[in-house]
Amino acid sequence: MKVTFNNRDPVYLQVVRYFKQEIATGRLQAGQEIPSRRELAGALHINPNTAQKAYKEMEEQGLIRTEGNSPSRITTDERVLSSLREELILDAVHTFVSSIKTIDVPVDELLHIVKEVYAKERSKE
Amino acid sequence: MIEVTSVTKKYGRKKVLSGVSFTADKGQISCLIGINGVGKSTIMKAIMGLTPIQGGRILIDGQPIDKHLYEKVAFIPDTIIMPPQMTIGEALLFMKDFYARWNEGRAEELLSFFKLNRDDRISDLSKGNAAKTNMLLGLALDVDYLLMDEPFSGIDMFSREQIANVFTSHLIEDRGVLITTHEIHDIEHLIDKAVLLDRGTVLKEFLTEELRLSEGKSVVDVMREVYQT
Repeated sequence: MKVTFNNRDPVYLQVVRYFKQEIATGRLQAGQEIPSRRELAGALHINPNTAQKAYKEMEEQGLIRTEGNSPSRITTDERVLSSLREELILDAVHTFVSSIKTIDVPVDELLHIVKEVYAKERSKE
Repeated sequence: MIEVTSVTKKYGRKKVLSGVSFTADKGQISCLIGINGVGKSTIMKAIMGLTPIQGGRILIDGQPIDKHLYEKVAFIPDTIIMPPQMTIGEALLFMKDFYARWNEGRAEELLSFFKLNRDDRISDLSKGNAAKTNMLLGLALDVDYLLMDEPFSGIDMFSREQIANVFTSHLIEDRGVLITTHEIHDIEHLIDKAVLLDRGTVLKEFLTEELRLSEGKSVVDVMREVYQT
């Protein structure tokens, strides 16, 4: 587990985002057991209170489930899981759009550039 | 909770603290931030009853400072205070004899966590290892509150990282931690609360995650605003 945190967004939301990415890309599977709050704090080098807050947020969003004293698991709710990918894509697009809109580029030209750069980046992986 | 209310302190005619108020909660990491000479260490000494104050009040879990307090709070000064000819192992024994709250199991765990060697003489330790040994001696006490004066200053980045990792481990457990620092970068994302000091007063006290959420600002952003206006 490796996350680079920025200091301006709440750390717990960055942790939630990390889990969403892991789920959307399939590195975390539906129903899979996840680390305890304390283990997560140690692994990501974050404050245990932050780990606790992140798990609470994920529980409220229905991303994870905890029953009694057993370890928390990724939800098996298909609806939640399938909406994740969409959410991540839309988030990234909004960020992109808000930073590009100050430069007045015609949409067609922009999409062309995006396609090119994206293909180049992907080929590096 | 450690409650510091309107504390004033003078060294001779020089006023060092002029009405300092803040709280540090159990289960949280609170950080006193300010440049050298703003009174950070004096506040810690005042909490421990090591220096008299001229005004205000300091309460720990609602109680004023007395000798029983030392079973509850440990102070880790910025330099190791054990006799330099002792080995680490001897220092551990010394602590064990002196403190009823010494936790031998945790001391052993910390020894391996920091990769320290019990046969090393304290005078021969590198700065980084001396700082880690110093931390160990405080952390191994079963106290509810830990005060740490500048735990990160003057040591190499790997030692700093190792010490920072203590805060994310079970070794801190649910204890209250109060740290002073003038270098926030290493621990910015680790702390729950920041208390910004300048010339003996508190300029701002805030919960870091709340401020990130409501204003999208880092601790350093807030420091720039507060100190440069």
